Amino acid sequence: MSTVSAQPSWWRRNEVRLAPYLFIGPFYVLYALFMIIPIGAGVYLSFTDWAGLGAPQWIGLENYRYLLQDNSFWTSLGNTVFYMSFTMLVVLPASLLLASALNARGLKLRDTFRIIFFVPVVISPIVVALVFGLIFDGQFGLMNALLQAVFGFGGIEWTTDPLWARVVVVVLVLWRWTGYLTIFFLAGLQNVPRELYEAAALDGAGAVRSFLSVTLPALRPVTAFIGVTVLVSTAQIFEEPFLLTQGGPGESTLSIAMFIYRAAFQRQELGYAAAAGVLMFAAVFTIGRIALRLFQVGRNA
Amino acid sequence: MTKQRAGLYTALTLLAVLFLIPMIWGVSSAFKARSDIFEYPPRLFPAEPTLENFRAILDGQPFWSWLLVSTLVALVSTAVAVFLCCLAGFGFAKYQFRFKNALFDVLISSLAVPFAVIIVPLFILLAVTGTLNVWFALIVPWVAPAFGIFMMRQYVEQSVPDELLHAARIDGAGEFRIFLSVVLPLLRPAVGALAVWNFLNSYNSFLWPLIVVSDPDQYTLPLGLQALFGAEGRQYDLVLAGSVLAAIPSLIVFFVLRKQLLDGLTAGAVK
Repeated sequence: MSTVSAQPSWWRRNEVRLAPYLFIGPFYVLYALFMIIPIGAGVYLSFTDWAGLGAPQWIGLENYRYLLQDNSFWTSLGNTVFYMSFTMLVVLPASLLLASALNARGLKLRDTFRIIFFVPVVISPIVVALVFGLIFDGQFGLMNALLQAVFGFGGIEWTTDPLWARVVVVVLVLWRWTGYLTIFFLAGLQNVPRELYEAAALDGAGAVRSFLSVTLPALRPVTAFIGVTVLVSTAQIFEEPFLLTQGGPGESTLSIAMFIYRAAFQRQELGYAAAAGVLMFAAVFTIGRIALRLFQVGRNA
Repeated sequence: MTKQRAGLYTALTLLAVLFLIPMIWGVSSAFKARSDIFEYPPRLFPAEPTLENFRAILDGQPFWSWLLVSTLVALVSTAVAVFLCCLAGFGFAKYQFRFKNALFDVLISSLAVPFAVIIVPLFILLAVTGTLNVWFALIVPWVAPAFGIFMMRQYVEQSVPDELLHAARIDGAGEFRIFLSVVLPLLRPAVGALAVWNFLNSYNSFLWPLIVVSDPDQYTLPLGLQALFGAEGRQYDLVLAGSVLAAIPSLIVFFVLRKQLLDGLTAGAVK
C-alpha cells in the first residue's frame, strides 16, 4: 500500500452502500410520477364534476352516489366479474391441463406445440379481433358455415345476441391467453423432480393422486404468480370486448375499463370516470394484495 | 407407441389446428377480393387470389407511417426498459440496503394496480403539463415495468456469482462499471426475453395510444387499422391486408427470439 495516496473520495467510500439506490431509483421516480400522482389526482377528481374545461367543481360523494345507482356500472361490473371467473375457472385450468399434456415424458415436437399455442398472444389484439369478427359473423361467418356443414344448423347471431356475444368474447380470451399461461405452467412442471413421481408411484399413488399430492404443491409459486397476474389483467379487460363487440349488443359485453373509457373520453365526464376508476382500484388492489401476500409472491422461501 | 400416446398426439394436433385456424383464415382472406371475403359458404383458399388489397393499403393509406411510429416507439422504449430493468434487478439481487424489503414490496404491489385507474388522471396530467406529446406519452411512463425488474432480479440471483463481483471490486472497479462490464454480459439470455416481451407489449398496445394520440399523422399501426375499419363501413379487405402486414414484424421478432422468450419469461415465476 502506498502511503502517499490520498483518502479515497467520499463517493468511493460510500459507493457500495449508495449505488443500489441509484440502480433502483429510476423505477421509483417513474412510479411516483406516473402511478402515485395519477392515483392521487384520480381520487381528487372523483370528488368533482369536470368536463375538462375550467376548474373542476367539488361535489363531494355525488359521483359515487350516482355510480351506485347507475345500471350501466352494475352491468359492466357483472360482465367483468364474469370475465374474471371465466379466466380463473376455465382458462387457468385449461392451460394447466395443456401444460401437463406437453410435459409428457419424451413428447416429440414439444417446442413446436409450445410455439403454436403461444403465437396468438404475439399478434396485435386489433388483428385478432378483426379475424374473430370475420369468423363469427352471423350471416357469412366461417363458424356458422362449419356448424351448418357438421350439425345441419347455423345462423347463430354470434355478435348481436347478448348471450352469444359474451361467448365470443370469452372464446377470444381463451384462444389468446391459454398458450401464454401454458408456458408458465410447463416451466413449473419441468421443475418438479421426476423422483417425486416415482416415489409416489411406489407408494401406490394413481395418476390423480400423484397430481394432487405431487404436482399441485410443487406448482404453488407459479400458480400464485399467474393467478395474480391474470386476475389483475382480466379485471381491466378492454381490448377484446371493445374491438370485437364495442361492448354490445346493448351493454352485454361492456367491461369496467370500457365503462371508464366511455365516461371519460366519449362523454367527457372526467370526475365520474375517475370515481369508477377509484372503486376499481380499491377492489383490484385489495384482492391483488391479499393474493400476493397469501401466496408470498416474490419472497424466496 | 402406446394407444395412450397416440391419443395424446391426436389431441394436441387437433388443438394446434384449432389454434392455427384463425391465423390461416385471416391470411387467406387477405388475398380475397372484397366480394369473396363474405362469400357463402366460405372457402378456405381464395378462388382467385389477389394482391389488390395489399396494393390498396400500401398505396392508398399511410401504412408506412403507422409502421414507423409503432416500430420506433417499440424500439426506443424497449432499449431503455431493458437497461433500467437490468440495473434495478441487479440492485435488488446483489446488494443489501436499508428499506430493501419495503421497496421491493412497493414494486411487487404495483403489479396489482390496474392500468385502467390511471388512464384518466394520467391523460389529464399530461395534457395540463403540456407533455401530451406522442413520443413522450407513449414511451416515458412505461420504461420501467415492474414485471421486468422482478424477472431480472430472479435471473441475476441465479446467474451472477458473488465471487465475480468481489473480484471486480478488488480490481478497483466502480459499481456501475461492474454492472456494465461484469453483470450485463451475463444477462444476455434474459435480456433477449425481456426485450421481446417489451417490444411486443409496446408494438401491440392499443388502449393508451387510443387515448393519447389524436392526430392521424401520428397513428400507430393498431390505431390506423382501427380507424380504417371504423370508417366507411368495415373495409375488411383493406384492414385484413394491413393486419397481415402488421403481424409480420411481431412474428419475426418472436420467431427469432422464441427460445429465449419462452424460457426467460418463465424463469422468474417458477421459483
